[in-house]
Amino acid sequence: MPQKFEVPKLRIVFIMVFITAAFILYTVNLASMQIVNFSEYQRRAKEVASREAVILAQRGEIYDRNKDYPIVMNISSFAVYVTPGELQEDQKEKLKINLNDYLRINFNELDRKIPIDTTGSFQPVELKDALQYEEIIYIAEHIEDFPGISWQSKPIRGYPEQGSISHVIGYVGNITSEDLQILYNKGYDRNSTIGKSGIEKQYDMLLRGKDGTRMRMVDVKGRRIEGDSQLIPPENGNSLVLSIDRNIQKLCEKALGERIGSVVVMKPSTGEILAMVSYPYYNPNLFYTDKSKEEYTRLSLDPRFPFINRAIQSGYAPASTFKVFMTSAVLEENAFPLNSMITCDGSMTLGDRTFNCHKLSGHGPLNLADALAQSCNVFFYTMGVEYLGIDKIVDYSTRFGFGAYTGIDLPGEIRGLVPSPEWKDEVYHTNWVGGDTMNVSIGQGALNVTPLQMASAISLIVNDGISYKPHILTQVLDQTTGEVLSEIEPEILKTSNISRNTLKTLREYMRGVITDGTAKYVITTKAVDVAGKTGTGQMGLQDQWDSWFVSYAPYETDNSDEQIVLVINVEGVNKWEWWAPKAADMILQGIFAEQNYEEVLDEFRNRWYIREWRKRQQDALEADTAAAGEAAE
Amino acid sequence: MRTRSVFRFELIILLAAIGLSVIGILFIYSSAISSDGILQNNEYIKQIVWVCVGFAIMLGVSFFDYERLRSLSLYIYLSVIAMLVFVLVLGEVVNGARSWLNIRGIGIQPSEFMKIALILRLAFFFEESRNRYSDFIRFLLSLIYMTVPMLLVVIQPDMGTAMVYIPIYLIMAFAAGIKKRYLLFLLACGSLIVLGTIIPAWDIFIITERSVKLAKVFSETRLTIIVLAAALAILLLSGIGFLSVKKKYFYWIGFAALIIIVSFSMTLGANNYIKDYQLKRLIIFMDPQVDPKGAGWNVIQSITAVGSGGTSGKGFLRGTQSHYRYLPQQSTDFIFSIIAEEWGFVGCLIIFVLFFVIIMRSLYILMSAKDYFALYIGSGVVAMIFFHFIVNIGMAMGIMPITGIPLLLVSYGGSSMLTTMAGLGLVSSIYLHKYKY
Repeated sequence: MPQKFEVPKLRIVFIMVFITAAFILYTVNLASMQIVNFSEYQRRAKEVASREAVILAQRGEIYDRNKDYPIVMNISSFAVYVTPGELQEDQKEKLKINLNDYLRINFNELDRKIPIDTTGSFQPVELKDALQYEEIIYIAEHIEDFPGISWQSKPIRGYPEQGSISHVIGYVGNITSEDLQILYNKGYDRNSTIGKSGIEKQYDMLLRGKDGTRMRMVDVKGRRIEGDSQLIPPENGNSLVLSIDRNIQKLCEKALGERIGSVVVMKPSTGEILAMVSYPYYNPNLFYTDKSKEEYTRLSLDPRFPFINRAIQSGYAPASTFKVFMTSAVLEENAFPLNSMITCDGSMTLGDRTFNCHKLSGHGPLNLADALAQSCNVFFYTMGVEYLGIDKIVDYSTRFGFGAYTGIDLPGEIRGLVPSPEWKDEVYHTNWVGGDTMNVSIGQGALNVTPLQMASAISLIVNDGISYKPHILTQVLDQTTGEVLSEIEPEILKTSNISRNTLKTLREYMRGVITDGTAKYVITTKAVDVAGKTGTGQMGLQDQWDSWFVSYAPYETDNSDEQIVLVINVEGVNKWEWWAPKAADMILQGIFAEQNYEEVLDEFRNRWYIREWRKRQQDALEADTAAAGEAAE
Repeated sequence: MRTRSVFRFELIILLAAIGLSVIGILFIYSSAISSDGILQNNEYIKQIVWVCVGFAIMLGVSFFDYERLRSLSLYIYLSVIAMLVFVLVLGEVVNGARSWLNIRGIGIQPSEFMKIALILRLAFFFEESRNRYSDFIRFLLSLIYMTVPMLLVVIQPDMGTAMVYIPIYLIMAFAAGIKKRYLLFLLACGSLIVLGTIIPAWDIFIITERSVKLAKVFSETRLTIIVLAAALAILLLSGIGFLSVKKKYFYWIGFAALIIIVSFSMTLGANNYIKDYQLKRLIIFMDPQVDPKGAGWNVIQSITAVGSGGTSGKGFLRGTQSHYRYLPQQSTDFIFSIIAEEWGFVGCLIIFVLFFVIIMRSLYILMSAKDYFALYIGSGVVAMIFFHFIVNIGMAMGIMPITGIPLLLVSYGGSSMLTTMAGLGLVSSIYLHKYKY
């Protein structure tokens, strides 16, 4: 192991000389700083230092597609700051009391906002925002009671367009330290406001702009000194134009009413979202009031999860709407002759299990078109198990985009699930059985899709095999001049290799669902020709069903620009009303007859389901009054 | 035998190290005092603990026969590499870099331990490969040993610590007798890459009013590619020339062309990887007044602190720059600035002398080492201490870029303290075991 050893003396001496030279150089440099130029540096250290104050950039406004007035804007208000270095230890208690009395700032807030390592710092820390002009006037007049406190204009967000739009737009709030760790170096600081959800979060970087600074002169203790200040003006954030049409949004919101569920209206020719409703929603304006904490807690504890945007963050079994995609597979694969029949006698047996059709007396003999129109389970059980098999079903589901993100420009989208034998083996370590295929064939089992995925899949049918990535942002504007800075072009999400003929036939069949099928009596609008499919999903409990309606309109057109895709899901936790197709009827009437919700109601006042609904409301009201009367006695 | 060894223990280095770490503790305490004279944190207590643990490790390593590390070097190296990978996946983000492992509340930086692991592994490799491989193969293989951990640290990203591996490598390779022209090649490539990444930024940030034409060679991809192509052609031609005429100058022309090819293509990559703000922070020391409120702030405050210290300083706990919080990261990166402010030139000279003693004494010990393994370990440790000294203090004086690497033995921080102590322990062990028994 040890070899003939000889120290390379020359090289080591070289290293020694090199290092000694460096030390000498550094000593000389240090001496020149500390001894020769000492007085210059001393002057600098004593000299007034400048300190900067931040001038906040205006956050961009948000418009809907009508671009006439902003649906999100900035409301003039103020924030107060404390500068820890200007606050003496013995003044603290007094200040806490004054802050609590006049500005309703909690006793502990001051200690919480000044971490131990920043005492003596001259960087102002924000204590509270959303303060009124009058409150600031009071502080200004009694500044001796508020040592270390300063203020500046800090607009708060105002959301004049309230209601379901809150899920799309989101809201803003103060940055958390976890966010700051990640966004370190991206222009955020401890006082930053940041988008917490929706468009406000997704496009925070576009909306926020860049804060400016005003440099003022201070002495070594941080006290202000008269003199000129230097100004770097803020760059205001960009305004955004959304694809949402607030009239359609309102119409959908009211048509869905107070039922837990969601509505998506999309333009298949571009992927633009015209409306996205999720009930329940929240009112973001309340987050900027003194009650913000209570409001936030109340919403967080609500068992209906009002913070969830059900259109993209909830997955459901697609139920019978899935038969549309089963039909596409049968057609494209030529798996079953179009005119051959299968007889439905109300149930089907596989092994020792019996699978029922929703019509227990049976549909009788049906071909493919009739089976889709009547939504016959037995027919599609047979297709799934005997003619297609699970692999093909999975293949076609993926072709339509199920089990994958649509890539919409909103945070928090979920992926859904297309179950496959590999998936079952991986998660449950059990084999895939025929019963699993049966369940998937009628859109049940572990199959899980979001309403938005459903809208995207229907778009693909409407567009002859192309679906565009769903998006909400359409234009970025300069906030001051209104000039269009960039325009968002449609982007292809999926190009399917399903033949045009198949898709054309599929559209005919979907039209059949409306003219002769399950939706015959519920889609009553004369304003437009509709094609679609109903869906009623089991939720486990006997009397609870998810209600789906997926559709597009007009059924046929030369101008693809006027077409829309409409998807509605009403959760089974609501009282069963089969509401999805009924809401769709009203929404389609509203959009194509250019009526608002009230006008639609008026027009439809004699429709059977409106009468039924009115009567139920009447009964409920009477029951309430009766109960109230009894209680009074 | 044992008792004789204990008496011959390496006292000079030990005393100098004690001196430096005591000064460190004093000024970590000072950095925690606010302008109102209130103690803000207890970092100095933690540092005392680290120093004690450090000295225990140093003594332990001293009495351990370094020769036994030969067989361990690979395992040490690989396990620290594993920690570096682990930290990339599960590490904690501090100041934008994923570099910390949290073990029961104690933060550990594997990139620090990598320095010792690298030194041991390179020392073993350089010794073992002496008469076995050609110089060129030794050069290439050893380069790989350094590059792997360096890249792992670069993607954390912690450029400062990653940089330290380079001088460790260079000085060890130099001591190991690697041909000077290979090291020259590395140095030339390295400087050109640094120039190539810095010059465009320098062009943009520092000399804003008139753009320098030559800078475009680096900043415009098209020009860079033209230069690359030209160099490639020259390399090819000189290769043909050398093979057919066997003239020495063809060799050197080709050598130069290869330097340009390697460094320009790396520059292309680096310019895409490094962000503008990182570059700005790197070069701001050239003229901090360009951005006095942003990237230049630290430099300006530090220079002012150092210069205003004068000959004998403002006195312990009396610095204005530090206690009014103008100075950032006082207990770690900028601890020298407080020492300079409060103890002045005299205090700084003490620091300089103590470091100089440790480095020269280590090199002196190496002169009488008994084998190559010891020699290489020692030169690696010297390189590490020297480089940290030059870069950290240069940064405080405003003549080196801000890279955020600590002043060893003095700055607050457990991992770097333990690493340094282990390194000094190795040098003492070389001294203690210098005779063959």
